[in-house]
Amino acid sequence: MEKEFLKSVHDYQKIIYKICKMYRDSKEDQEDLFQEIVYQLWKSYPSFKGESKISSWIYRIALNTAMAVYRKTKPAVEYLPDLPEQASWDDGNISQNEERLFGALRLLNDPEKALVSLYLEDFSYQEIAAIMGITESNAGVRLNRIKNKLKIILK
Amino acid sequence: MELDDLKPGWQNAGGTSKTEAEILKMTKITHHPSVKKIRTKLIIETIMLAFFLTVYYDWFDGDKKPVYANVLLVCSLLAYILNDVIGYISLLQPIRGSNLKTSVEKYLAGIKRLSVLSIFFSFVYGVCFIVFFTSVINFNREKKFILLGIMVLLVQATLWSYRIWRRWIKALKQQVSDMEFDEG
Repeated sequence: MEKEFLKSVHDYQKIIYKICKMYRDSKEDQEDLFQEIVYQLWKSYPSFKGESKISSWIYRIALNTAMAVYRKTKPAVEYLPDLPEQASWDDGNISQNEERLFGALRLLNDPEKALVSLYLEDFSYQEIAAIMGITESNAGVRLNRIKNKLKIILK
Repeated sequence: MELDDLKPGWQNAGGTSKTEAEILKMTKITHHPSVKKIRTKLIIETIMLAFFLTVYYDWFDGDKKPVYANVLLVCSLLAYILNDVIGYISLLQPIRGSNLKTSVEKYLAGIKRLSVLSIFFSFVYGVCFIVFFTSVINFNREKKFILLGIMVLLVQATLWSYRIWRRWIKALKQQVSDMEFDEG
């Protein structure tokens, strides 16, 4: 079981990385959250029956951990001035685009971050609704609002 | 810009790759950063309180104090330690439902319960501690003022603890409220 688990987490660690980067500001906090998520995944692994995709299970546990675990309160961080300007999404400048994307996503509230990350990962509305615990139509309405929010942030 | 335009950026994002050995290390509770801090605090507190429990009777003349003062001190101290241990175990379990909404709601309910019990048992322990040490004192005006000062400190410590819990509960409540998606 341990071997199987390690391989799965190793293969899907990008998911954990992205969630940590979206929910925490500093590198240190992101690293702590990464460990926390791996620990929670390991604890939940025996109850994973393989009824859902492993990626959606990892997303659910990782998002849940990121949202619930206690965070030290810090002064409010204003991300907008730090967003690199004029970077298009297909200009090959991956690092700059990545920073711009995560900078924008961090401005959303916690459930919005969860919702949009699932959408960006290409989960269906049905899967998103099941992970979030909301209806499909709710997910659609909410994603539309997030789209408008992001439009303003990234314009 | 469409939301779909962000998909390649999201799907290609990724950091330094961790090895399976590093991941394995993270599954062990002893390497867990936040848990380490809570556990260290819990262990130190428990050792100190257990030590106090074994020596207080001789060192602080338990035999000269009324039985009720001894009973109150021991019971409140044991309840405090027990609550600490239950709280520690409870904090290790943020995953409490098959979806995010249910899980966060249940976690919030658990944290609320834990905060009430923690504040209550800390306060009761403080009061019983004072009762023990003052149970054989004949109070004059000065001593009454000192006692009042100690009570004020205890209330302040309780308020400080309440504020820390409230900050966390407020953040979780906000998440639950943000989860209540309306379609209007």
